[in-house]
Amino acid sequence: MKNVICFTVTALAAVLLSCSSGDRRSGVVTLDWWQFWTDPSVKPTIEQIVADFEAQNPGINISITDLTWANGHEKIVMAFASGTAPDIVELGSDWIPELSSAGKLADLTGDAAGDSADFSAWTPGTYDNQIYAFPWILGTRVLYINTVLMTRAGYDEDFVPFNWPQLKELCYKIDSLGKDMYGFGANAAEKHRLYKKFLPFLWSNGGSIMSRDGSFSTIASDKSYAALKFYKELCDSTGMVDTQRRLEDAFLEGKVGVIISGDWLLKRIRNEQHDIPFITALIPGPKFPGKSFVGGEYLAVSRQSKYKSAAIKFIRFLTSRDNQLLFCKANYTATPSSKTAAKDPFFAKDPQLQTFVKQLNLSKMPKVDQHWVYIEDVLETTLENVLYQGAPVAESLYEAKLEIEKIVSGQ
Amino acid sequence: MRARNFTGCLFTLPRIISFLLFWLFPLLYSLLLGFTDYRLMRPSFQWVGFDNFIALLSDRAFLISLKNTFIFVLGTIPVTTVTALFLALLIEKKFPGRTIFRSGYFMPSITAMVVIALVFANLYSRGGYIYLLAEMLGLAPPENGFLLDNRTALISIMAMDVWMSVGYYMLIFLAGLKSIPRELYEAAEVAGAGAWCKFRSITLPLLKPVALFIIVINTIKSFQVFVEVFVMTKGKYDTSTAVYFIYESGLNRFEFGYASAAAYILFLIIAIFSLVQFRLFRRRAIW
Repeated sequence: MKNVICFTVTALAAVLLSCSSGDRRSGVVTLDWWQFWTDPSVKPTIEQIVADFEAQNPGINISITDLTWANGHEKIVMAFASGTAPDIVELGSDWIPELSSAGKLADLTGDAAGDSADFSAWTPGTYDNQIYAFPWILGTRVLYINTVLMTRAGYDEDFVPFNWPQLKELCYKIDSLGKDMYGFGANAAEKHRLYKKFLPFLWSNGGSIMSRDGSFSTIASDKSYAALKFYKELCDSTGMVDTQRRLEDAFLEGKVGVIISGDWLLKRIRNEQHDIPFITALIPGPKFPGKSFVGGEYLAVSRQSKYKSAAIKFIRFLTSRDNQLLFCKANYTATPSSKTAAKDPFFAKDPQLQTFVKQLNLSKMPKVDQHWVYIEDVLETTLENVLYQGAPVAESLYEAKLEIEKIVSGQ
Repeated sequence: MRARNFTGCLFTLPRIISFLLFWLFPLLYSLLLGFTDYRLMRPSFQWVGFDNFIALLSDRAFLISLKNTFIFVLGTIPVTTVTALFLALLIEKKFPGRTIFRSGYFMPSITAMVVIALVFANLYSRGGYIYLLAEMLGLAPPENGFLLDNRTALISIMAMDVWMSVGYYMLIFLAGLKSIPRELYEAAEVAGAGAWCKFRSITLPLLKPVALFIIVINTIKSFQVFVEVFVMTKGKYDTSTAVYFIYESGLNRFEFGYASAAAYILFLIIAIFSLVQFRLFRRRAIW
């Protein structure tokens, strides 16, 4: 019996030792990378880029863990809070301040200095003048217009609404085409989505949510009032109110004339082989083309990572011009964070992708704020109340301002 | 004897350890957190006494979620219980194809809630079958679908919940009906009792323990309604419930202290409801 126990203990110890020291003996570093690209049409490209990196860097292995947008945020925050965060993590642009302000991310300021000129959209990755995340793939929203409905409404096929009155008139005329026909696809009170559709109208009219120093809210302004009033009128008079996915379904079925969406819809149209006749156009402002919302995926390194330099090496490889292009082509994505990649002929020769590239230059991100999760909640509740529960615009904006200031002041 | 006790303890040890580690400890720890301002990403936290509980009682979002939870509980339990009893009485009779009906009613209870919620979200939307049926019947359904309207969203979720759970409770009632001695009915028939009289004087009183069991477990389940709301509306359109509020506070904003306090308020409410139900039924129950 004693011999059996001795043998078992020795065998277990040998197995454990071989597991724990193998990498160290051979000098191979394994980096954990948590990422969100699980789509079967994109994942092979991610794996190919990783394989290329490992081939060029024999001392570094990358272990990929897939996350989903449904619960990725929870998993990431839990992992950081419990000290089990991966070396490298892909983050949504509005999640970064939450982690950087809590000191969970490695400061990449020095490492990013050489790259800053070629990348756009550093702002979400920056907190307190320090850089904590590299921009990777960005995503903006543009107008999608059904050209058949537009011509039936009396417009030329190449008409593009440049300003709010033109947009409203176009939507109104399409809406008048028939009973089950709608002019504008208005987002229902969907979490994390509704505010992204309103902010372009707010920004295009010169409005904002927070003051420059972030100490008070500027949402209760005449500019915000005009923007929200216009958006409400557009939704009320011509809108089909539904979730983003169902609005896109309705657009593809030819029931909605105009919707706001991202480049994922381009990809869907291509992959599902829809023969819908459409054009993409810049989001109109009150007088001229206006601003759109831009979000993006960023790459950050955990502060606890023992292999910071290897992690940064991988991030540089992933965000290099060539690999961003490879990724964008595979994913039919129009908005790389690399400025030189965005100039590639691949984007220029495709008019739909070109709209996204142009819109990206006219896009904004919400101000970096550690309280953003709460501010977003207030914003969405305000929009829900005004758009779908008949709350008065001016009073609701003022209440939102008070709520946001309560949050910012820590009450 | 001592050796046998020791062996017995060894066998029960895994269960005891898992109970202590994964049930009792989290339960007591969350009670403790309810008295702190613990947030996941903060390095430290402080004891705040009853502050979280006091803040919750004036938090509009929490009060709305409690109101919705009460509407859900009070709206679904009577309908579910009465429908389940009615179906059990029907199914108990012998008729051709009885098994098919029994399986059919029970089927939703063994289907994943997420799947059911997704299917119903489609049925309730503009152009969905329920929406079209309502239109055909001239009921003027909400323009944007049942789930995108404050007046109908919660009630639509409640209707789905009744449909889903009625089969399970029907089976429990059926088991209760089977356990009632046939002699009682025979004696009643000899005494000239009709069907209604037998139901009122024999079936109902003898089903009271079963009804109590169903009402108590359904109450606890209904107070914890979450998945339906999470999948179908994400708490929008006046459908946020207490557990959804706890989820939002705990796993979206990571305010663990606040969320724990809310969870214990819900725990207290469920405990009070269950006690009241036990008291009410115990008065005249035949066990």
